[in-house]
Amino acid sequence: MGVMRIEPARVRSWASQAVDTAWRRFDPQLTIYAVLLASIGLAMAYSNSAGPGLTPLAPGTTFSRGLVWAGLAVVVFVAATAFDYKWLKTFAWPLYFANLGLLGATLVVGSGVGGSARWVNIAGFQFQFSELAKILTIIVLANYLSARWGRLDSLSAILGACLLVVPAWVLVMLQPDLGTSLVFGAILAGMLFMSGASLRWLGLLAGLVVAAIPVAWTYVLRDYQKQRLISFLDPSADPQGSGYQLLQAQIAVGSGGFSGKGLTNGTQNGLDFLPVQATDFVFAILGEELGFIGAMIVFVLFAALLWRILVGAWRSRDPFGLLFGSGLASMILFQLLVNVGMVIGIMPITGIPLPFITHGGASLISLALGLGLLQSVNIRQVRAEW
Amino acid sequence: MSVATRERPESDRSIARFIAFGLAVVVGIGILTARLSYLQLAQGNQNAAAADRNRTVLQAIPSARGVIYDRAGRPLVTNVPSFTVKLRPADLPESERETVVTRLGGLLGMDPADINAAIDANPGSRFDLVRIAQEVPEATARLIAESHLELPGVEVVVEARREYVQGPLFSQIIGYTGPITAEQLARLKDQGYLPDDMIGRTGVESTYESQLRGTYGAETVERDASGRRIQVLQTVRPAQAGDSLRLTIDTKEQILAQRALEWGVSVAGLKRGVIIVMNPQTGEVLAMVSLPTYDNNLFARGISKADFKRLLSDPNQPLLNHAIAEQYPPGSTYKLVTGTGALADGKITPTTKIETKGYLTIGTYRYYDWNRRGFGPLDIKLGFGESSDTFFYQLAGMLGIDRLGWWARQFGFGAPTGIDLPGEAAGIVPTNQWKQDTFGQPIFPGEVYQAGIGQGYDVVTPIQLLNAYNALANGGRLYQPQVVREVIGPDGTVVRPFEPKLIRKLPASSSVLRTMREAARTVVEIRHTYNLVDLPIKVAGKTGTAEFGVRDAQGRLPFHHWFVGFVPGDPYKGDFSKGDSQLAVLAFAYDSNTLGNVATEVVKYYLQLHFGIKEDYRKPALLQRANFYQGD
Repeated sequence: MGVMRIEPARVRSWASQAVDTAWRRFDPQLTIYAVLLASIGLAMAYSNSAGPGLTPLAPGTTFSRGLVWAGLAVVVFVAATAFDYKWLKTFAWPLYFANLGLLGATLVVGSGVGGSARWVNIAGFQFQFSELAKILTIIVLANYLSARWGRLDSLSAILGACLLVVPAWVLVMLQPDLGTSLVFGAILAGMLFMSGASLRWLGLLAGLVVAAIPVAWTYVLRDYQKQRLISFLDPSADPQGSGYQLLQAQIAVGSGGFSGKGLTNGTQNGLDFLPVQATDFVFAILGEELGFIGAMIVFVLFAALLWRILVGAWRSRDPFGLLFGSGLASMILFQLLVNVGMVIGIMPITGIPLPFITHGGASLISLALGLGLLQSVNIRQVRAEW
Repeated sequence: MSVATRERPESDRSIARFIAFGLAVVVGIGILTARLSYLQLAQGNQNAAAADRNRTVLQAIPSARGVIYDRAGRPLVTNVPSFTVKLRPADLPESERETVVTRLGGLLGMDPADINAAIDANPGSRFDLVRIAQEVPEATARLIAESHLELPGVEVVVEARREYVQGPLFSQIIGYTGPITAEQLARLKDQGYLPDDMIGRTGVESTYESQLRGTYGAETVERDASGRRIQVLQTVRPAQAGDSLRLTIDTKEQILAQRALEWGVSVAGLKRGVIIVMNPQTGEVLAMVSLPTYDNNLFARGISKADFKRLLSDPNQPLLNHAIAEQYPPGSTYKLVTGTGALADGKITPTTKIETKGYLTIGTYRYYDWNRRGFGPLDIKLGFGESSDTFFYQLAGMLGIDRLGWWARQFGFGAPTGIDLPGEAAGIVPTNQWKQDTFGQPIFPGEVYQAGIGQGYDVVTPIQLLNAYNALANGGRLYQPQVVREVIGPDGTVVRPFEPKLIRKLPASSSVLRTMREAARTVVEIRHTYNLVDLPIKVAGKTGTAEFGVRDAQGRLPFHHWFVGFVPGDPYKGDFSKGDSQLAVLAFAYDSNTLGNVATEVVKYYLQLHFGIKEDYRKPALLQRANFYQGD
């Protein structure tokens, strides 16, 4: 009933507010960093699609598809910014089930490599719903935790949050997609931490997760997943097999040196030594072609972006905004660390995309949605004292 | 409940956790930066080198294989460009193999089974190319090259292929090149042989492989991950062309020899025959024909499984050079050994007369002469001339089997001559030791008799037999036969000039050998060889009729015919007192159950052709099939 009473007031306040006042709270920095990162991603897509006898703009190339997705992402971002995030609380549960429905549908009609089911083809475009599921999970968790704001030192609230994630987690593991399931875990951990949940319980939970690793190794992980996890420890054991990508990726990154070989000049990329350069190993090509400088620019942009997301979360007057920002930051940070760590040989291969850079529509659209909603949080704060 | 109530007081925001999160960002990105600076800054050079290694690969540049000329410098082998279809098994998924092989077979007009066999016989690893088809028509080659998407792993390359100008005429001598086998590859990999290399498989292509091949060069090539060449970066070492060969054989002489042999073989209705012409003064082979022959171009173009099977299963073994690879009983031609041995050992003198009868008896066994009435008393020249078996039984008895065997070995029997062709047989010279080792029994006295006339356990190769008569004809020098006269470098200079290779000097005095040469002339003069003596040139020689195999219903054995002879240094006016012969000829007719000696007719015809004798002395009537023990 309270909602009913409030809505007219909110709409009125939105209407009464001068448009320029609202958009003043729009964080241009956040947008700029994201656009720059996505542009670097497009540059890498161009590099992938360019070459002797190749037309980067031809339909179907990584680059031309990337451009289409980027255009769509802008639309999604603007729409999400315009959308009042407070409605999300109302739609949290429908979104939750829609999320599960999409993941379930992926299992049924999806396709993927080697018998997996990860992508759904929509109008000729492959779409990975598990990317969208990450954002939806953040929304659901933010809604759940904000409703229990101040009571988060209790174990039941923490366990409730965990249970909320379990169905989506299981559906993703069934695809099987180890990477996304780990991202769910990172999002959950980051949001619980930022929600102010009791460190004691969180510590205990973390201990349980560590204790469960041997069990998961035996019963949950598939052989190829184990193989990939092991090969990172000693890639040279099987240089033509599962360690091949890792060795080639490190050779690619390392051969870039300080300033790189220049866009499209990477030999590891151009001559196809990296079998999956278009997907999760794109940072290897970035390192080879743009060098240490290029990688540093990417890192700085990520750091700045995360900073702006955290600022948005801090400024938010309601716990939902804070939690949503925290979830988004957790997701991006985790994916950055694991993806780049994988390419440079300090993390196992798990198939996690590098936000903005990895060529993949679903990832970019989901990020645009998340960042748009964060801008929606930014511009809808009653007080703007920051 | 209003939205406002859910808005938390500012104090709820935990600044500590925001700071902690920020720290996680800084530390996490810091670790990535540290690792990245290690890879890109500290190790950058090594990694750049590794990327270079990936990209560039050292590839062999095939050298131009040396060619082969005949004695007069006519090319017998040339290298011609040919489209070759190869396949890299690693790039062909097992699930698609059947489809691809079937499609490829359709395009190439090949039996898919042949393609599968080629893939399975691949001597290298799965990453090495396998040769599927050579001599592919250009249109087909282009079609295959363009449909690489439907034919994964299939590549089209241009290679040099051997073209054998004279084909079957020289196949037995030149041989052919073929894909290297797994065993050869294992042995020769260190010498730069590649898994899809060609190698001389037989003939001089095989014996002179190392000279003909040359030295492969090397170049660094940029390639992509699937191994396709992008461009050549640098030639590390240019290829060095192989040396060429000049044979001792003149094409014209070879054609004459072949014509003579083919005539005799076809008139007598035979399947197998051999003719060899040599210069006794040097050991050079001037002509060598083994029938039936085959076309080595079949192999050069990549022989089909069916063709290869047909050649292999032919009972007359066209792939074998019968002149060197097969051994047969020498028959009466072997009496050279017995006679020379008895004379040199002083068992007889040139004037010693020995009574010859219809047969000799040992215990209850009778050893017959081919002439059942005997010839009465004969000296060595007439004994050899009439080819009296009982005469030579007695000489063999005087020498004993071991001494006879020793003399046989002096003449080069029982060991390969060392001719520069592969696959030479050694022959057998029976001795007491040999019989004991082989059958666990001593030689029986009757077997000594048989050995004295070239029957029983003795077997020889045609080249051994001719070489033994060469030593007689040249006055006692046993040379190693050679078919390659010179090795010529790529610049045309002679790398290895011709040099006769002396095996040994016969331990027989020149007078003994002169007596035997005159005995060989007697063979011709007393018309044991019919009208051979009527030729305007002088010929000495010996016939042989060697029984082999299984007796027929009348108790008669099939037999081979031999004739081996030589002409004096001056064929028209010379005589046989000097060892100055420059031409010796051997003919062999396998299973030639004819009235007269086919081999003698073949040699006669060859000599007519060689000396351009207009009058035809041939006697085709003698070549009628009849298993009648006509005389020897």
